[in-house]
Amino acid sequence: MSNAQTNAAPAEVTAIDTQARGPLLLLLGSGLVWLAVSGVLALITAIQLHSPQFLADCFLFTHGRAQALRETAFVYGWLANAGLGLALWVLGRLGGEPLRGLNWVVVGTLAWNLGVTCGLIGIAVGDTTTFALLQMPRYVQPFLVFSYATLSIAGVLAWSGRRADAMYASQWYAVAAIFLFPWLLMAAQAVLLWWPVRGVVQPIAAGWYAQSVWSLWLAPLALAILYYVLPKVTGRTLPTYDWAPLGFWTLIFVGTWTGGRHLIGGPVPAWIPTIAVVAHSLVLFHYLVVALNCRGLLAASGTGVGFMRFGLVAYVLFGALEFLASFRGIAAHAQFTFIEPALQQLGLYGALSMIFFGGIYYAVPRLTNRAWASGSLIGGHRALVMTGIVISILALIVAGKAQGGALLDPKVSFADLFDRVRGPLLAHTAAQAVLLAANLLLLVNFLRSACCFGGSTEAAPALFRTSATEEAHAS
Amino acid sequence: MKNGPLLFTGLFLALLISFGGLVLGSHGQLGRMAPYFDDGDGTAFPQRVSGLAARGQLVYADLGCASCHTQQVRRPDFGSDKARGWGERQSVARDYIHQARPQIGAARIGPDLTNLGGRQKSEEALFALLHEGSARHPGYKFLFETRDVAGEASPRAVKVAGAAAGRETVPTERARALVAYLLSLNTAYDYPEAKPFVPVAKPAEAKK
Repeated sequence: MSNAQTNAAPAEVTAIDTQARGPLLLLLGSGLVWLAVSGVLALITAIQLHSPQFLADCFLFTHGRAQALRETAFVYGWLANAGLGLALWVLGRLGGEPLRGLNWVVVGTLAWNLGVTCGLIGIAVGDTTTFALLQMPRYVQPFLVFSYATLSIAGVLAWSGRRADAMYASQWYAVAAIFLFPWLLMAAQAVLLWWPVRGVVQPIAAGWYAQSVWSLWLAPLALAILYYVLPKVTGRTLPTYDWAPLGFWTLIFVGTWTGGRHLIGGPVPAWIPTIAVVAHSLVLFHYLVVALNCRGLLAASGTGVGFMRFGLVAYVLFGALEFLASFRGIAAHAQFTFIEPALQQLGLYGALSMIFFGGIYYAVPRLTNRAWASGSLIGGHRALVMTGIVISILALIVAGKAQGGALLDPKVSFADLFDRVRGPLLAHTAAQAVLLAANLLLLVNFLRSACCFGGSTEAAPALFRTSATEEAHAS
Repeated sequence: MKNGPLLFTGLFLALLISFGGLVLGSHGQLGRMAPYFDDGDGTAFPQRVSGLAARGQLVYADLGCASCHTQQVRRPDFGSDKARGWGERQSVARDYIHQARPQIGAARIGPDLTNLGGRQKSEEALFALLHEGSARHPGYKFLFETRDVAGEASPRAVKVAGAAAGRETVPTERARALVAYLLSLNTAYDYPEAKPFVPVAKPAEAKK
């Protein structure tokens, strides 16, 4: 890059960003490609829900396999790549030194994506493990641990070599996510794939893993970004920040006990869902603290702020609805219905993905040192993705409510049930098409920005509001 | 927060405690559960399924049938599982001890299959559903093969509209295993722990 370009944004972009540009853009770009792939798969599964014969002849895309492929591409492709890319960027910036071990990031990213690709092929040909969020075949799993460890070296080095002793909320969350996930993954692999526990202990262990993926990995990744970007866009320190450590430890210590909610009424010891109900009420405190800390976002403005605001509201709403769904009276209606995918859509898409989108819109201009290639593509993405998420969640809730009512009434046959949910499921399919279109807009904009096909360096300084010296104060 | 080692210790402890409590705790409680021996019948329950049916469970798992069907009956006062005829009693942990990978499922887009073998006896109907599908169920034609009739026609051949003379469509080994598995699904035996809890009537109510 020429000096003229580097000087275009002297206020904030430093060597920390410029040196990490290639590896982090590779991570973020990989995430966006996986998001598009998972969007296609989500469309296939959505169509199959109201038109079961769609692709039924193709053994690679039975509904069960397509669902597992979609989930894996979304979580291990999109959320993992984007979350790690942003978390490494945050750790580098807050560490005050350029990231070290960047070659390992490149190797780790390529290895991780190769592993996920092999995992998806394995699922498609029938080697799935059948455990939610751990669908990739056993033979790929050790490779994923190795890739992740390689990827996270830069994060650990950035954290251990930080200039200031004090750590900020975004660092706790980023370190927790980066450090805990490999242990979590290895523990789950050990008891489910290598030395499988017996009978219904398997669904219990799988539930523990799936919940921990949320509480110890994905949610901390999103919160690391939220807690980092928020003070930058508001220009103020976080309100009620003294409570942030308590909110953090509540999520880490209590969040993992909430997974038993999905086993209410199931063939498991009653203490498992009972503990989940108690844990759900305790973990509400975490969501409250996040809401209090981040409430400044509601009045802020900026390119990615709209996404983050949406994500914050969805995150808190997700916590509240999960709590409600843990009650046995509500579970009797909602269990096994489309309410569950609606909640998953709210958590993984409405909350986490929207925060990641906001983080990407904030980070990419700083990494590339140039403005986004197209402002209209950003506006289009924002409008479409919000519309798609809201419609898909509402459609699934309406379908789930109809399904729950029909399942409780033994006189209603499955033919009647199918007729009742068909309308909302068609709306859900339309929403998935909108989401796919939205995310393709982001991918195009990202590729144009990252590959220097568009955008102007002159416009870049206008995007950067805070100086490097504010880094420590505002975080 | 400044203390890095303390942060790491806390994180590791959080993971360890929840893993120990939920996974190892339930493993300690259920991991050594033995079959229930019925003195009257002289048989231990649950009984193991045949080799073909055991292979069928792998087909059930790899096709992802659990994304639409559950295999868990809830107690009579929780949902309408009993009223729908899915089972006379709730499913208990002992039902699954012989299953390599229990498929309890998390969605009921289709009916529960815990006791399908008890209510569906017809192999032919299941082959037809798997081949042709219906308005609500996909047809998995890749589980069948069409071949020339050699000698006598196969008794398992499915009816196909417009099929050429001298040709028949028969289930593959995977389809036969899947159907054997589906027909083996039956948890009719009443374990002591499966009997629903009946609250003891208060003395005043008992007199009435």
